[in-house]
Amino acid sequence: MIKVEGLSKRFKLNRRMRRELGEGFMKSPSLEALKDVSFECRPGRVFGLLGPNGAGKTTALRIIATMLRPSGGRVMVSGVDVEEDPRAVREKIGFLTGNTGLYHRLTALEMVRYHADLHMMPTALFESQKRKLFDLLDINDFADRRVAQLSSGMKQKVSIARTMISDPPVVVFDEPTLGLDVMTSRSIINLIRDCRTQGKTVLFSTHQMSEVKLLCDDIAILHKGRLYFNGSIESFEAQMQMSTYEDEFIRLVGED
Amino acid sequence: MNRTLTIFRKELIDTLRDRRTIIMMIVVPMLVIPVLMFVAVRFAERQQRKADTKQINVAVIGAEFAPELDSMISGDSLITVVSGVAIEDVERQIRADSIDGAVVIPSTFLDRVNSDRQSAVQLYFRSSRSLNVTERRLREIIDGYDDAIVSRRIVRRNLDEQLFDAIEIVAVDISTMQEVIGKTVGGFLPYMFILFMFMGSMYPGIDLGAGEKERGTLETLLSSPANRLEIVLGKFLVVGLIGISSAAISMIGLYVAVTQIRDIPAEVMAVVADILSIKVVGTILTLLIPLEAFLASVILAISIHSRSFKEAQSSLTPMSFVVIVPVMFGLMPGVELSWQTALIPILNVSLASKDIISGSINPLHLVLAYASLLALASASLWFCVRWFNKESIIFRS
Repeated sequence: MIKVEGLSKRFKLNRRMRRELGEGFMKSPSLEALKDVSFECRPGRVFGLLGPNGAGKTTALRIIATMLRPSGGRVMVSGVDVEEDPRAVREKIGFLTGNTGLYHRLTALEMVRYHADLHMMPTALFESQKRKLFDLLDINDFADRRVAQLSSGMKQKVSIARTMISDPPVVVFDEPTLGLDVMTSRSIINLIRDCRTQGKTVLFSTHQMSEVKLLCDDIAILHKGRLYFNGSIESFEAQMQMSTYEDEFIRLVGED
Repeated sequence: MNRTLTIFRKELIDTLRDRRTIIMMIVVPMLVIPVLMFVAVRFAERQQRKADTKQINVAVIGAEFAPELDSMISGDSLITVVSGVAIEDVERQIRADSIDGAVVIPSTFLDRVNSDRQSAVQLYFRSSRSLNVTERRLREIIDGYDDAIVSRRIVRRNLDEQLFDAIEIVAVDISTMQEVIGKTVGGFLPYMFILFMFMGSMYPGIDLGAGEKERGTLETLLSSPANRLEIVLGKFLVVGLIGISSAAISMIGLYVAVTQIRDIPAEVMAVVADILSIKVVGTILTLLIPLEAFLASVILAISIHSRSFKEAQSSLTPMSFVVIVPVMFGLMPGVELSWQTALIPILNVSLASKDIISGSINPLHLVLAYASLLALASASLWFCVRWFNKESIIFRS
C-alpha cells in the first residue's frame, strides 16, 4: 500500500537553473515540482501516474522511493513513513526505470546477486528466488555473460530480475517502457500483470495512454505538479467528455 | 554481508574489470619509474661520452704572444686550432658554428708574465650550447698553464709553496650515504608516489560517481536499502585501495628499476636496499594512507557533483596542481620538516618522506603530520558524505 497525502516538493533554483527555465523563473527562488498531491495505491491493483514530461511524475516516485525528501505532506509505504524510516521503505520497494540501470562489467548473475546482498537476503532464499526468476525470464542461458554483451531485451530481463529478487511487496516503475522495443515492452507489461496477480502494490508512471487502458485499475493525472484526476479507471471513463483517453487527458490538463 | 562491504566488493570487481583503471593502477606505476630511470641513466652516460670525446674547433688569436700556451692548446688531441680568424669576426663565427670558441692573447702577454705581473687572456665561448665543453676544456688548459707559471715563479724566488696556500681544508662529511640520498632523491620519491596515488584514484573515482550518474545506475543504487553513508564508504574504500595500490606498485617499480640498472656502485645499492626496507616503506605508506583518504574523498565528491564523466575529468584536472604544488615546495632546498610544515597537508608527506628515507625523522614532527592528515581526511570524508546526501548534488542535471 502506498498512501500519499498533500505531497509537495520545492527545488531551490540557482542562477543557471533560472536562466535555463526561462523568463518566468528569473525571480523565483524555487520551483514547485509538486503541490498538494494525494493518492493511494492499493495491493493487488495497478496504479498509473500519468502526465506529460515535466509533470512531476519522477519527482513523486523518487519521494516514494526515499531518494528525495518531501517539502510537505506525508507518504506512507506499507505503513512506514518515508521520512521516519527510509531504509525500511526501501526494503519493501522494487524500483525499475526504462533505463535498465545495470553495471556493464558485471555478469547477469552478479548483478542480481548484488541487489540480493543489498537486501541482505539469506543465501538459501536468494537461490530459490533466483531459480524461480531465472526460469521465468529465461535468464539461465546468459546468466554468466557480462551485461555489456547482452541485447537490450536480455538487459531488461536482468533488470526485472534485479528488481524482483527481494520479492518486494511494492513495485515502482518509472516510465518502464520508454524507448524500448515492442517485445521488451511486452515483458514489462507481463511483469506488471504478474505483480498484480501476486497481490503486490504496483505504481507506474507513463505518458502513454495505451498502457493505461491495458493495465491500470486506478489512475492519477499530474500536470505541472498538480493533480487533475485521481480515481479508478471506471470513474475516469464515467466522467469522460471526449471520445478517446488522449483527448480526455488533453481536455483535463489543457485548460491550464 | 554488511552493506558497505557488499558495495565495496561489487565496486572493486567492477573497477578491476575496467581496462583504463588497470592501466593507471598497475601498468603505468610499474613501468614509468623503471623507464624514466633507464632513460635518464642512459642519456646521462651518452652526454658524458659525447662531452669526453667531442672534437672542438678553437681559434687562438695572438698565438705568437704566448707560444707555450698555444702549443698546449694545439697539443690537445680533442682540439683543432683554426687559423686566420680575425678578432672582430670571433663572435659571428661562434654563432655560425664555424668555431666553438676562441682564446685572445694580448701582445703584452709575455712582457707582463715574465715581469711577474698578471696578464688577461680572453676566452670566447657559447655557454648556451648544451654540453659547454669548450669553456671547460680551455679553462683546464689555461689553469694548467697558470699553475706552471706560478710554480716557476715560486722556484725562481726560492719560496715555499705553502706561502700561497695558507689553509688546507680537510673536509670530513659525517653524513651517511643514506642521509645524502634521502635528502637528494628522498624528495623525488614521495612526489612519484603521491602522483601515482592521485592518478590511480582518478579513474575509479570518476567512474563510481559521475559514471554511475551517466549510466543511470545511481538511481537503482539509491533505491536499494543501502543508505548514503554505506554507499559513500563502499565507494571510498575502493577508490582509496586503488590509489594506495598504485603507490605501492610504483614502489615495486622503483625497486625493479634500481636492481636492474647496471653501473650502480655496491655501496649505493646497499643504501637503496635500506631505503626500500619494510620499515621505511611501511612508514611512508602510513603517511600515504590518510593522504589517500583525503584524495579519495575529494575525488568522489567532485565526481558525484559532476553531471558526466567528461565534466568530472575537467573538474579534477586542476586538482592535480593542488597535489603537485605542495610536493614541489618539498623539493626546494632549505624547506625542512618543522612543526609548522608538518601541519601543511601533502607538503608534510613530501618532507616527512625525505626525513624517513634519510633516517633523520623527528617523531614529534611525524605525529603532527599524522594528526594534520587524519584531520584533513576526516573533514573531506564528512564533506563527501554530506554531498552524497544533498539532493541538488545527487540529482544535478
